[in-house]
Amino acid sequence: MNSLTVYLFVALLIFCIGMFGLLQRRSLIGMIISIELMLNAAAINFMAFNRFLAPDPSVGQIMVLFIMGIAAAEAAIALSLILALFRKLRSINIEHARDLKG
Amino acid sequence: MNPAAPSDFVLWLTLAVMWLPFISFLVIFFITRTRLALSLAVSVSCASISLLAAWYLLLGLPATHPPVEFKLLWMAGAEARISYGFLLDPLSRLMLCIVASISFLVQVYSLGYMAGDEGMAKYYSFLSLFAWSMISLVVAPGLLQLYVFWELVGLSSYLLIGFWHHKFSASEAGKKAFVMTRLGDLGFFLGIIVLLLHLGDLSILKLNAQAAAQLSAGLVTASAVLIFMGVVGKSAQFPLLTWLPDAMEGPTPVSALLHSATMVAAGVYLVSRLFPFYAASPDALAVVLAIGTITMLLSSTMAMVARDIKQVWAFSTVSQLGFMLMGLGAGSYFAGVFHLTTHASFKALLFLCSGVFIHHFGSNDMYEIAKNGGRRLKVPMITITIAGAALAGVFPAAGFFSKESIMGALAELPNPGWLAAGLAGAAMTAYYTFRLLFIVWFPRKIETPQHQENGHGDHAAHSSFGYWAMGVPLIILAGFALVLGFFGDWLLNFIHWGRPPEFFHHVWLAPVSLLLVGCGIGLAWLEFGRRKAAQAGFLSRLPRVEALFANRWYMDAFYRRMVDYVVYGFFSRLFTLNDRRVVDGGVDGVCRATVGGGWLLSFLQSGLLQYNLFTMVLIIALVGLYFLVMH
Repeated sequence: MNSLTVYLFVALLIFCIGMFGLLQRRSLIGMIISIELMLNAAAINFMAFNRFLAPDPSVGQIMVLFIMGIAAAEAAIALSLILALFRKLRSINIEHARDLKG
Repeated sequence: MNPAAPSDFVLWLTLAVMWLPFISFLVIFFITRTRLALSLAVSVSCASISLLAAWYLLLGLPATHPPVEFKLLWMAGAEARISYGFLLDPLSRLMLCIVASISFLVQVYSLGYMAGDEGMAKYYSFLSLFAWSMISLVVAPGLLQLYVFWELVGLSSYLLIGFWHHKFSASEAGKKAFVMTRLGDLGFFLGIIVLLLHLGDLSILKLNAQAAAQLSAGLVTASAVLIFMGVVGKSAQFPLLTWLPDAMEGPTPVSALLHSATMVAAGVYLVSRLFPFYAASPDALAVVLAIGTITMLLSSTMAMVARDIKQVWAFSTVSQLGFMLMGLGAGSYFAGVFHLTTHASFKALLFLCSGVFIHHFGSNDMYEIAKNGGRRLKVPMITITIAGAALAGVFPAAGFFSKESIMGALAELPNPGWLAAGLAGAAMTAYYTFRLLFIVWFPRKIETPQHQENGHGDHAAHSSFGYWAMGVPLIILAGFALVLGFFGDWLLNFIHWGRPPEFFHHVWLAPVSLLLVGCGIGLAWLEFGRRKAAQAGFLSRLPRVEALFANRWYMDAFYRRMVDYVVYGFFSRLFTLNDRRVVDGGVDGVCRATVGGGWLLSFLQSGLLQYNLFTMVLIIALVGLYFLVMH
C-alpha cells in the first residue's frame, strides 16, 4: 500500500462520513458541517494527486484554494438562509420545512 | 352511328351550357354572397345564356346530326379507361333544353317568390349548383360521370329541400330525401362496378351498342336491374317513394324544379339513356314495367285523399314518373321520353301556380286557399287549370298526347292487364286533379273580409315586379303545356334520327281513355264541383281505405318501424356500447391511470430532499459497483 492510496482512503472515509451526515442529519447546521467534510475530502484528493502524480504542483493547489473559497462563500450563504428560516419557523429542523407554502 | 368530334362552335357552346351555372355558383357562393342584386344578376344571366345555348343546340343542329362526343381522359387503368366530356345526341339535346328552360324559368319566378328572404343569394347559388349538376348529368358520355353528377344532384336537392333548415320538418325532409335516394344509389353503384369489371368501359354509346353482344343475358339483366335500383330511389318509385311527398318542405320553386326537370327526372332519363341496353334484356324491362305500374297505382290513390296542395302534385309526380317507366318498360322509347318532356312543362307549371297561392295566402291547404278566395287570382287560376287539364290528359293539352302514346305502347303488350292498369291510373289522375281544381274554383264559404284585408296587405308588400316575375313564367309554361302535345310526331322523328320505328296509333284507344278521363272528371264534379256537392270524396265513406291512402299505405310507418328495429335497435345499440365501453371507457381509463399513477408517484415527493439525495447516491454507487465488477 503506497502512500497515495492511504491518502485516497482517508479522503474516501471523510467523504463517506460527510455523505452519511448529510443524509442522516435533520438539523441544517449538521448538514452544513457534513458538506464541509465532503468538500474537504475532495480537497484532500486533489492535494494527494497533486503531490504524487502531477508534473506541475501548482494546479492542484489552485483547485484547493478555489474549494476553500467556495466553502467559505457557501457557509456564509447557507448560514444566512438558516437564519432566515429560523426567523420564520423558530426551528432549524428541516422536517418542519417540508411544505412549500410557508 | 359513330360519334363525331364536335366543331369548335358546338364545343364552346356545350361547355358554356355545362359550366356557366357552376361558375355562377362559385361566384355567388364565394364572392358576391353578401351583395344580393349582383348575385341575382350573375345567376340569372348565366342561366339565360345557358338557356339560349341549349335551345340552339336543340334546334340549330340538324335533327339527323350524328351524335357528338367529346372526351378527355380522366382516369386510366390497365383495363379500364374513364373519361370526362359530353355526348350530344337527340335525347341529351332535348333534355338539356328542358333542364335549362325550367331552371331559367324557376330562377325568374324565384325573383318574386323568394323576395325578402335573407338567404336569397345562397338560394340562387344552390339553384345554379343544381342546374350545373343536372346539365352535366344529362350530357355525360359515360356512366361514371353520370353517377358523380347523379350524386351531386342529390346533394343540391338536399340543400334546397332543407333550405329553410330552421324548420325542423324541412331539415328532416332533406335528410330523408338524401338517405332514401342513397339506398337506391347503392344498387346503381354496384351495377356500374359489374359493368366496369366485365366491359372495362363505361361509355354510354358503347354500352348501348355492344353490351348485349359482349355480356351474357344474365349479366345484362343483373346490371340493368342494379342500375334500375338507383332509378327507383331517384325517381321515387315503389319501395322508395315516400321521400318525394316530404320534399315539398323546400321552397315551392324548388319543388317545381325538382319535380319536373332535375332530380326525379334524372331517374327516368337514365333509363331512356340506357334504353337499348335495357331493351336487350326483356326481364329488366319487365321489372321496369312492374315497378312503374305499382308506383303509378299506389301514388294515384294517395293523391286522391291528400289535402295539401303541394302533396297532391307530389303524388301525381310519382305516378306520372310511374307512367313514364311503364312506357319505357313496355318497350317504347318514344312514349317515355315524350311524357317526360310534356310532364316537365305542366308539372313545373302546377307547382309554380301553387306557389303563387301559397305565397299569397300563406297556407298549403287547398280548402283554406279556396276559402280565402284563391279564384280571384286570375293568372294562376287559369294556368293551373290548363296544367291540370294537361296532367289529367284532357284533349288539346300536352298530357293527352303523351299519355296516349304510353297507352298505345301498353296496348301492344300481350297481357291486357297493363293497359287496364294504365287506364285506371289515367282515370284516377283525372279524378284527383279535378278534385283539387273544383275545390279551389268553387269554394263553399265566401271569404271573410278580414282575410281579404290580409290578402291585400300581403299583396301590397310585394312589388309589381315580383308579381310579373312570378306571372310571366306561368304564362310561358302554360303555352308549352298547351302546344307541346302537337309536337309528338316531330319528337318521334327527332329522337330516332329521322328514322322512327313504326308507331301504332290505336284508333279505339283515344275515345276509351277520354271516356275514362271524363268519368274521373265527372265524379270529381259530382262530389266537389256542383253547387250542392258536399266536397267530400267517396273515399270518406270508407274510412279504413281513406286512412290507408292518407297514410301512404303505411309505407312510412313501415320504414319508421324498420329504422326503429334495425338502426335504433341494432346498430345504434352497438355503437352506443362501443361509445360507452371503448371510447368513454378508454378516456376514463387513461384518466384513472393518470390519477392512480400520480398518487403512487406522490410518495416520492416527501418534501425532504435527503431522500432524493439518498436515492441518487445509491444509484451512483450501484453504477460504480457495476463498472468496478465489469472491468
